[in-house]
Amino acid sequence: MPVKVAEEWLNICGGCEVSILDIGEPLLDLLPNLEFVHMPVLMDHKYHGQTGEGDPHKIDIPDADVGIISGGIRNEKEKQVALAMRAKCKTVVALGSCACYGGIPALANMWSLTDMCDKVYKDSKSTEKADTPKTDLPPLLDRVYALDEVIKVDLAIPGCPTSSDWIKEALLSLLSGKPFAMPDKSVCDECPTKREKKASGGTIKRPLENMAFKQDAPWEETRCFMEQGYLCLGPVTRAGCAGMSMEAGEAKVPRCIKGYMPCRGCFGPVKKGSNPLVDMMGALSSIGLKADQVSDRRAMLSRYVGGHGMLKPLPAKAPAPVKK
Amino acid sequence: MAETVMEQEQQAEILNPDPVVIAFCCNWCSYTGADLAGTSRLQYPPQIRIIRVMCSGMVHPNLVIDALTKGADGVMICGCHLGDCHYIDGNYKTEKRADAIKLMLEDFGLEPERFRLEWVSASEGPKFAQVMTDMVAALKRLPPSSYKVG
Repeated sequence: MPVKVAEEWLNICGGCEVSILDIGEPLLDLLPNLEFVHMPVLMDHKYHGQTGEGDPHKIDIPDADVGIISGGIRNEKEKQVALAMRAKCKTVVALGSCACYGGIPALANMWSLTDMCDKVYKDSKSTEKADTPKTDLPPLLDRVYALDEVIKVDLAIPGCPTSSDWIKEALLSLLSGKPFAMPDKSVCDECPTKREKKASGGTIKRPLENMAFKQDAPWEETRCFMEQGYLCLGPVTRAGCAGMSMEAGEAKVPRCIKGYMPCRGCFGPVKKGSNPLVDMMGALSSIGLKADQVSDRRAMLSRYVGGHGMLKPLPAKAPAPVKK
Repeated sequence: MAETVMEQEQQAEILNPDPVVIAFCCNWCSYTGADLAGTSRLQYPPQIRIIRVMCSGMVHPNLVIDALTKGADGVMICGCHLGDCHYIDGNYKTEKRADAIKLMLEDFGLEPERFRLEWVSASEGPKFAQVMTDMVAALKRLPPSSYKVG
């Protein structure tokens, strides 16, 4: 009996669904054991029985053993779909950083809903002023929510996009009933670049400036990007983006490092609930880089973790006391 | 009742009569300084909660931000004067981290008065009492922390 899988995408770009396809050949071995009963990204399925069957006032999602949900929750429709998925699926998997932490869309949590709509529909220089559209659209929630703020999540696979290795591993462990857990290590723990001495001192460079590396040279000859003075979120980011299987003779290199770019922090914090902004500012100042040179700190260092109240509108500054 | 206009103004300015203040004091200088203030019978406000640490350089920014976002009205880090660190350069690290903390106060919507770094040596009992009095007085003039629960 194949396992029934329902997949749903909420507030997301669709990259994590591509990661499912990117599993590649192992997917062919997995497919006979899986039966996709609901997957809007691949199959046309109407929620409200528009084609004549079912109740038009109920979200119609078929029963499934595993529900994979990607994306955070931005509007009322997404909230209702998430609740319906939870009701119909035995196990719910949060796929990708949007579902786990809010992701890139949750950067909008730095502003209130009114401020954001005003910016998008009224204040932006390239926009003709108009009212926020209201008709025939699901109302927006007050902020972007991570999936586990709204429904119970059994299994979380972060990443932007997530790594297909972990999707495969999660599906395999669900099929065989084994427990599944991501590593509690940081990207630096897995990074093969060479570390010489901690303090690099001086200014923080932008990734556009020339990094010292030799293409295709062994990784042991490439110096740690942070030591070279680039802002790399490796120390405060969960390991795993390189996938889980180490191919024979090949070092496991984190994805961005492999492309000679510093880590962006897409796998979220190493420890659940810790704030990468605070940890990274601590790390930067401890090794002697100047923390005030990080441009747009809040957005830059909490780029993928805006849900769970990590990013919120700053309170309006209290007016200066009136001197008599 | 306040008698003079000046006293009335001072009273009107107090927005938070009982602020919660956490003070991380290093074992070798500031904690001993606090001890001296105590044995010298110097008066300082009772709202200070001292946490003894081995070195001010071990107080990472996340401890300070945690305290402030979980309801403390103010946090102080007290360490040895620069050059006097028992561990040679611990307080130079403290100084750099304090810069990062001051930047982050803004990111968390906190007033700059809520965090202070002070150097207090073991012989500076009166200075300890003075900086604590100043800190509590400054915090009384601020409204209670927006992170305060209940």
